[in-house]
Amino acid sequence: MTEVLSVSGLSVFYGTSAQAVENVSFAVGDGQVVTLLGANGAGKTSIMKAIAGLIPSRGEILFGGEPISALPARERVKRGIIYVPEGREIVANMSVRENLVLGGYHLAARDRRTRTEMVLDLFPEIANKADRAAWRLSGGEQQMLAIGRGLMAAPKLLLLDEPSLGLAPMLVRRVFDRLAAIRRESDLAIVLVEQNLAMSMRICDELHFLRGGRIIGHRTAADLKDNAARQEAIDAYLGAASAA
Amino acid sequence: MSDGLGNILLDLFPLMWSGMITGCLYALGALGLVMIFKSSQVVNFSHGNVAGFAAFLIYGFSSGVLLNLSWGVAVLLAMIAVVAIAFLIYAVISPLVFESELTATISTLGFGLIAQGATLLIFGADIVNLDLPIPRFSMSFLGLFITGYDLTVLAVAVVTIGTLFFVVDYTKLGIAFRAISENPFAAEVCGLNLRSIHLFSWIVAAILGVVGALLIVPTTFLSVTTVAAFMLQAFAAAVIGGFASLPGSLVGGILIGILMNLFTFYVSAEFTSTFLLVLILLALNVFPNGILARAGGSRV
Ligand SMILES: Nc1ncnc2c1ncn2[C@@H]1O[C@H](COP(=O)(O)OP(=O)(O)OP(=O)(O)O)[C@@H](O)[C@H]1O
Ligand SMILES: [Mg+2]
Repeated sequence: MTEVLSVSGLSVFYGTSAQAVENVSFAVGDGQVVTLLGANGAGKTSIMKAIAGLIPSRGEILFGGEPISALPARERVKRGIIYVPEGREIVANMSVRENLVLGGYHLAARDRRTRTEMVLDLFPEIANKADRAAWRLSGGEQQMLAIGRGLMAAPKLLLLDEPSLGLAPMLVRRVFDRLAAIRRESDLAIVLVEQNLAMSMRICDELHFLRGGRIIGHRTAADLKDNAARQEAIDAYLGAASAA
Repeated sequence: MSDGLGNILLDLFPLMWSGMITGCLYALGALGLVMIFKSSQVVNFSHGNVAGFAAFLIYGFSSGVLLNLSWGVAVLLAMIAVVAIAFLIYAVISPLVFESELTATISTLGFGLIAQGATLLIFGADIVNLDLPIPRFSMSFLGLFITGYDLTVLAVAVVTIGTLFFVVDYTKLGIAFRAISENPFAAEVCGLNLRSIHLFSWIVAAILGVVGALLIVPTTFLSVTTVAAFMLQAFAAAVIGGFASLPGSLVGGILIGILMNLFTFYVSAEFTSTFLLVLILLALNVFPNGILARAGGSRV
């Protein structure tokens, strides 16, 4: 299997003192879904932002075998690394369609139109509200818009930061089913950040457990097939607080 | 209708008409200030002096002081010059923009002084005439005295402001501009180059500033401070509009133009600057988010 993303010795510092990520290494294969699991403040978002080039970092990041650490965020977007931020970060006063245009900003006009239709097909919930201001969407619809915006740019690697945050369980399931469908249809690789182990198990191949900015453990989805193994991993890495 | 009331109306309409014409010019200045502020959170205090410098360049290029070109070519050259200046200023302050908007704002004051100094150095402190090649005619319409100048200003304002609003509302570039204004992080996540959108605002603002300066100068004369003084009213217009609203600055400009005219005529010509300040303070208190802000809504 070829590697889409390979991160080695990644460290992130905020200011001069605090170190949010410490020497993190992991890889994502073609079409693979890798989940980063960890409590609040474990460093998940910082890893994603570093890969997307949104914050400075140390260490090596290879994308398709090429080093990308020196590239600005927009060059990484053009290469197909798309970050779908936590908290959605859609542009509230712009329409759904305009938000999608923003996501496909670098595409040729014709590709942008076809991808817009594709995204709206994928998320019928927002298709009939395409000309509505984004702030008028419900939380779940806004999350779909955020993911749809990420898909606009024809990503090769999607960095999904807590797509289930603040959503009702039924909506979470719907979003994850959509993601599973996208995965089946393309060789899109995904790095998924979740606090919800059960939900991420629905689509992921591998899990990395994070604490205090370090990877403290690693399991494949196959390892966690039975409930006892899952409970053992939760006890070992996440603690009782995350068991839910 | 009593005679007194009739007279007031006879005065009022022409005053409002000419106030609206000058107001359109204030709006041109204000729109530039607001575009820069919306995209980069920087208040560009060099706006007036740079536009003033450009007006002097047009004078210099067309009068024989520097060159002896036709008016049109002189305007074109001055436009190229302000675009280059906008590039230069933004290149210098762009590292600051992402660190501290306040520092960037203060450094624009410095550039304003440099532009003023350059004007003085090249053209001296004398007052000069800079006229527009516009049709000289006038007509009476419903008691209004309408001149070729009025119609020129109106036409130029409608076309430039209309074009600007069209670009902002309906084009991809406009989407980028609005996205950066409202949520720069989202724009960055989508791979936009924040600097090039900032630069777009600076360049559009510079061009609007020169257009405004060119049109305001024929009503007075051109000195080192004429255009900077004009930009003070543009600033007021932007404040009344909430400083972050393009339609707001248009309304603010026209409102300032009309109110200043009425004040000058009915109250006192001496205290118009004081009146302007009172207007700004009132606007800040009564409409802190701008005159077009919806109750509880956000500034758009
Ligand atoms: N902009 C910032 N400035 C300073 N410290 C930060 C900043 N962003 C994050 N941190 C710190 O870095 C550490 C990791 O934060 P990060 O956002 O990566 O965690 P996370 O795993 O995504 O948490 P959550 O589940 O709450 O989203 C935390 O200790 C946090 O306080
Ligand atoms: Mg996070």
